[in-house]
Amino acid sequence: MIVAGRRKTIAFFITLGAGLVLVTLLLYIGWVLLNWRHGILLFLGIVLLAMIISGVVLNTIFLVREIRRNAQHDAFINAVTHELKTPVASIRLYLETLQTRAVDEDKRKEFYRIMLDDSDRLLGTIEQVLRTGRVGPSSRKLNLAPIALSEVVEESLARVRNLHHLPAESLQYEPCPPVSILGDLDEVRAAVSNLLDNAVKYSGSEVKVTVRTENIDGKYAAVRVRDEGAGIPQTELKQVFKRFYRVPGPLATRVKGTGLGLYIVRSVAKRHGGRAWAESEGPGRGSTFVLQLPLAK
Amino acid sequence: MSRVLVVEDEQHLAEGLRFNLEAEGYQVHVAETGEAALECLKAESPAFDVVVLDVMLPGKDGFSVIAEMRHAGQFIPTLMLTARGHPDDVLKGFAAGADDYRAKPFDLTILIARIRGLLRRREWLRSSVNHQTIPASAPQDSRERFTFGDKSVEFEALELRVRDQVFPVTLMEMNVLRYLIRYEGKPVSRKKMLEEVWGLHEDTDTRAIDNFIVRLRRYIEDDPTRPRHLVTVRGVGYRFVASPG
Repeated sequence: MIVAGRRKTIAFFITLGAGLVLVTLLLYIGWVLLNWRHGILLFLGIVLLAMIISGVVLNTIFLVREIRRNAQHDAFINAVTHELKTPVASIRLYLETLQTRAVDEDKRKEFYRIMLDDSDRLLGTIEQVLRTGRVGPSSRKLNLAPIALSEVVEESLARVRNLHHLPAESLQYEPCPPVSILGDLDEVRAAVSNLLDNAVKYSGSEVKVTVRTENIDGKYAAVRVRDEGAGIPQTELKQVFKRFYRVPGPLATRVKGTGLGLYIVRSVAKRHGGRAWAESEGPGRGSTFVLQLPLAK
Repeated sequence: MSRVLVVEDEQHLAEGLRFNLEAEGYQVHVAETGEAALECLKAESPAFDVVVLDVMLPGKDGFSVIAEMRHAGQFIPTLMLTARGHPDDVLKGFAAGADDYRAKPFDLTILIARIRGLLRRREWLRSSVNHQTIPASAPQDSRERFTFGDKSVEFEALELRVRDQVFPVTLMEMNVLRYLIRYEGKPVSRKKMLEEVWGLHEDTDTRAIDNFIVRLRRYIEDDPTRPRHLVTVRGVGYRFVASPG
């Protein structure tokens, strides 16, 4: 309903813009008919016409863009609200249960585990949101140091395995000969973790993720994360890295997320002088995400 | 034992709710998607007494689930439970047909008290519908059983007996049937049924009743596609015929 409302607003402003341009044109035709003998007035009219029309067009473009951005922002607020409130609701529910009911030892232990999981999830969302602020264009300087890429990847693998309770074989690692990159450990770790986390989240019930590191021409190191999951349509391959962006459709509601993860990956890559991109043969055929960072000299 | 349907895709919350509601003595069923919930409700034997419904569900969201339930004539008390506590969302939930709306995180004891409240209201409603004052024009009807052909209707037990088979029916289905039997042989309009069985006086979509008739026909008609007892009166509504000639 809200989406339809927005589309209507956008259509309204585009029509309004087109209408204003039309009125200006008609006025100009009148002006030409009245002043066709006076060259200077005709010239002035053309200049004014160009100015007015470009003003209207620019205004319309900015309005439409602003409306779209607002829509994305709303979707983000909704997603973050959900991601923050759900774990809190769960922790609170279990705490109240433990407080008000007699719970046997096994159940009690299970409840503690659930609450720990939820607090991890909560912390993850909070870190993601805070990091988005930190990796933006006008943020603090990088704390550059040589990092052993393999170590970061293994660390992230262990963390993601732990978080999603996965067996070792569902996350495969194929390392290249050890390379060291120049980067900010905290940020690189976050970027790699985000890629792994996404691969697992969008894999569905059967997780089969392969992580490979590569040395590209002795200049760059790349982390390739391949999953056999939902895949991405061609048109969305670039979009997914935008802030707050989530591929529309049923998957976005089934897999919970804030639309920040890949934005962080791309920002981190850019800040390090590298890049990040996605490859996919289409929906249902898995996808590969690549993070490429410069090697330490 | 009251049956509660919990529609929640967050496993932790669903399990926590199940544990607590079971501790309260309810029978709990968890559905993870809106589609699954609607399936559960359609199967409805035995029927659920209360639904706890999340909004942000994969696939169909909670708002469309409740709207579809109400449209299909399922008036099971429903409490919506959601992270979206914005007044607009609350209003949307109530407009779609929710009976109560709680924002997450919620207070467990209050949530349980509210579920209990909904169940209590349902009990009151059940007893008041059962003993509703019969309009003066209607023939008196205080029978416990009505028999026609080789079928019999057990009003109090909420059962239909066809030969040696027994079909449990819901309260609302029984009320519809009781009403039609009361006016046996006479056509009854959909609007009248909505007013007298459901107590609805606004111009609701009266097609909701058709779903009840379809289900009742499945029980009592030998061939539900060619009904002989529950006959459609075109442009008006339905007529119950006890012994078709």
